[in-house]
Amino acid sequence: MSLKKFSELFSDLDSINSTNNKVEVLKNYFLSNDPIDNSWAIYLLTGKSNKRFINGRYLKNLFSQIYEYPQWLIDTCYLKVGDSAEVITLLLKNKTNSRKKKLSNISLNELLSDTIPALSKLNEEEKYLEIKNLWETLPEDNHLIFNKILTGTFRVGVSIGLITKSISKLINIEEEIISHRLMGDFKPSSDSYEFLINKNINLQELNSKPFPFLLANTIEDKIFKNSINDFQFEWKYDGIRMQLIKRSGNVSLWTRGQELVNESFPELVEKMSQIKDDFVLDGELLVWNFKEQIAFDFSLLQKRINRKSPTRSIQIKYPIIFIAYDLLEINGRDIREIKLENRRIELEKYFSTWQIKTENNISDIFKICDLIFPKDWPDALTYKEKSRENNTEGLIIKKKTSIYSSGRKKGIWWKYKVDPMQLDAVLIYAKGGSGRRAGLYTDYSFALWKDKELIKFASAYSGLTNIEIKELDKWIRKNTIEKFGPVRSLKPEMVFEISFEKIQISKRHKSGIAVRFPRITKWRKDKKINDADSLENAYELMKKIS
Amino acid sequence: MRTKQEYLIRYKDGNLYCELADIWIDPSKPVKKALITHAHFDHFTFGCEEYISTRETAILLKERVGDNIKIKTFEYGEEFKINGINISFHPSGHILGSSQIRFIFAEEKWLISGDFKLQKDLTCKQYEIVKTDYLISECTFGLPIFKWDESNKIANDISKWITNSPEKTSLLFCYSLGKAQRLLNEISQTNFKGNIYSHGSIHKMNNSYRELGIDIKDTIKIENKKIDEHKGSLILLPPSLSKGSYLKNFKNIQTAFASGWMSIRALRKRSGYDKGFAISDHADWDGILEVVKKSEAKNVFFHHGDSEALSKYLVEKESINVLLFGK
Repeated sequence: MSLKKFSELFSDLDSINSTNNKVEVLKNYFLSNDPIDNSWAIYLLTGKSNKRFINGRYLKNLFSQIYEYPQWLIDTCYLKVGDSAEVITLLLKNKTNSRKKKLSNISLNELLSDTIPALSKLNEEEKYLEIKNLWETLPEDNHLIFNKILTGTFRVGVSIGLITKSISKLINIEEEIISHRLMGDFKPSSDSYEFLINKNINLQELNSKPFPFLLANTIEDKIFKNSINDFQFEWKYDGIRMQLIKRSGNVSLWTRGQELVNESFPELVEKMSQIKDDFVLDGELLVWNFKEQIAFDFSLLQKRINRKSPTRSIQIKYPIIFIAYDLLEINGRDIREIKLENRRIELEKYFSTWQIKTENNISDIFKICDLIFPKDWPDALTYKEKSRENNTEGLIIKKKTSIYSSGRKKGIWWKYKVDPMQLDAVLIYAKGGSGRRAGLYTDYSFALWKDKELIKFASAYSGLTNIEIKELDKWIRKNTIEKFGPVRSLKPEMVFEISFEKIQISKRHKSGIAVRFPRITKWRKDKKINDADSLENAYELMKKIS
Repeated sequence: MRTKQEYLIRYKDGNLYCELADIWIDPSKPVKKALITHAHFDHFTFGCEEYISTRETAILLKERVGDNIKIKTFEYGEEFKINGINISFHPSGHILGSSQIRFIFAEEKWLISGDFKLQKDLTCKQYEIVKTDYLISECTFGLPIFKWDESNKIANDISKWITNSPEKTSLLFCYSLGKAQRLLNEISQTNFKGNIYSHGSIHKMNNSYRELGIDIKDTIKIENKKIDEHKGSLILLPPSLSKGSYLKNFKNIQTAFASGWMSIRALRKRSGYDKGFAISDHADWDGILEVVKKSEAKNVFFHHGDSEALSKYLVEKESINVLLFGK
């Protein structure tokens, strides 16, 4: 019923590894708390809320002012802990020993719908006093959750799947239904929780919600043993995966992250509203080069995503297209249970009718994805290698007999990504990591040769195993040339193979090039720094591709 | 100001060394004469011609490494002279037998804190405040994010952790000497009344503690093969066993690590244990500050751990002269 109980739940979930036990703990939590607090708990645990009321820096400043702590000391602590909310929680320990913990039973609802939102209406002075007051009146065990909610950094190892499982167990209804109920907008309220645990399934209830998305797995070798004819091949576009829903005449665009983005793409909503049928389409939104019939770079799409009600000129400058992969529902009939190859026939049939029957031309904003028909697996490989030419990331391979279930289901859909581009580069800087990697040097910068100089060309932090990270951390500490705040410059000695997806000219970088998704794929202990690649090599790579 | 060669105690080859007495403190390589602050292996090395320690430390060391070493022992507070320098051991509260070492020469006092803690621990003597001019202190947990909870609170958390999973064997990893005995002592005062087993290395130390008059609950020596058959019981194991393949053979277990580092979530998550209990035999931030102040030292050196922040804080906030040790 309270923040206190939620804090206990958090610490339980944080220290349990087994899925079954987590589900059990969650189930018991839901059983013993109010619907309204349960809905808030779900809201927080599923990461639907990451609104930041104040930022980490502000929190640290505030603590520094109230308790007269030097800022540099807090920053040093931060390097060890990697999370502002946690640093402040640890520093607050034993500092707030006022006897009366008046708020020891504050409910989640009260805290989240009144106390915290009220902060934004206060002026600086009042805000300072109020946060200080909250720190002093909330029990110490609850500080972590409170600080995390304040800074919008509440994350815990609970997937939406776990919540789905526990609710499903609680009321004995299939997970698919619960997972569908959890899709889309989830506003914390007693009603939304009651809806979630309603034992009667009303088919109309889910009208405004997208279906849970079906996701592709990384390619597995065993697939090559099957006949090529068992599969449908599509290009893997690098856009926003989306469900385009038209029900009872209303269009809604849902991203895979379950955000409703109608306002960002009004031209699509308008065009699709003109189609006579109701439907649910699974597809990808892209900024499209209509002349060459290929996608523009993802960076152009980014110019559209966060812009609501874009002007006409923006719409023209960054023209979008929705490419449909799949038809999931048609005129109220859920067809997810029929085979992919039959859904494809339906999709093609309806698409051609819409093209003819819709008054305005819809093909300037909507098409269905072209299929690829490789003769055999080596041919499929050739297609994959060509995918960079049309700005795609590779292939999506789908079993023709697959039904549209949910999640990353094994053995039906695969992504076959083009091999990344690679260069061997020298480690020159390291920076302390955050979160789980706090206290270790885990953010690295890499350089390539230009004549006799090493020029920074990319930063990467992923790709090493935990053991390698620890080993490298030790090496970094022993081979530091200079420290600048959290960054250390290092003796050039270590060579790493860096893989990336795209390489292009960039005036912003000293190296003159920019790469996308750089990551470490190998620690080349076998190589000396003179074996590392040069910028020249990078330019050649760029030429080869374009 | 003196150059570092002129200090009574200084760093030489990475170790603390007193030239006038030609004596080393916890040396990491064989020397002629070594003062040993306590019986942990990172403070001891084989091959020294002569060791000097407290009586308890000597007994524990011999139990661990055999009788084949030459140790001279002194009681806490008993002064002895080497080359005209007065030397004495004082309780440091770290583990049984652990000590601070005081040097007095020409009316100048030096104190080496050894590993120490101020927190309550019924398995060893309480830290003794010793006044000094120069303090050489450890600084393992030298950041204000480290503040220990009372040990009985941690013991209750451990007890709850075990009793909440009656269908599992609870494996608690902790250092064999000191931490294990302190935990046993604390846990025996909680609501947990089930069986407690301990690994051979811990069992051996339990017996030594008991022989030295410390009240330690009787534990059963564990046979390696059957660990997961002890539903609802607690088993104490040394941390070295959590690595490698040892644990893979067991299904119905939950694991935890008892260490001061476990107060940080990132370290807890990275440790690979299911749970972490933040309990330490080293001083926390407030503990180090208290010792620095109460020792009345005008000059402080730090070794062990990252002392940059603590040094800067003492200089800025407390105007205490913090000196660097050239390693």
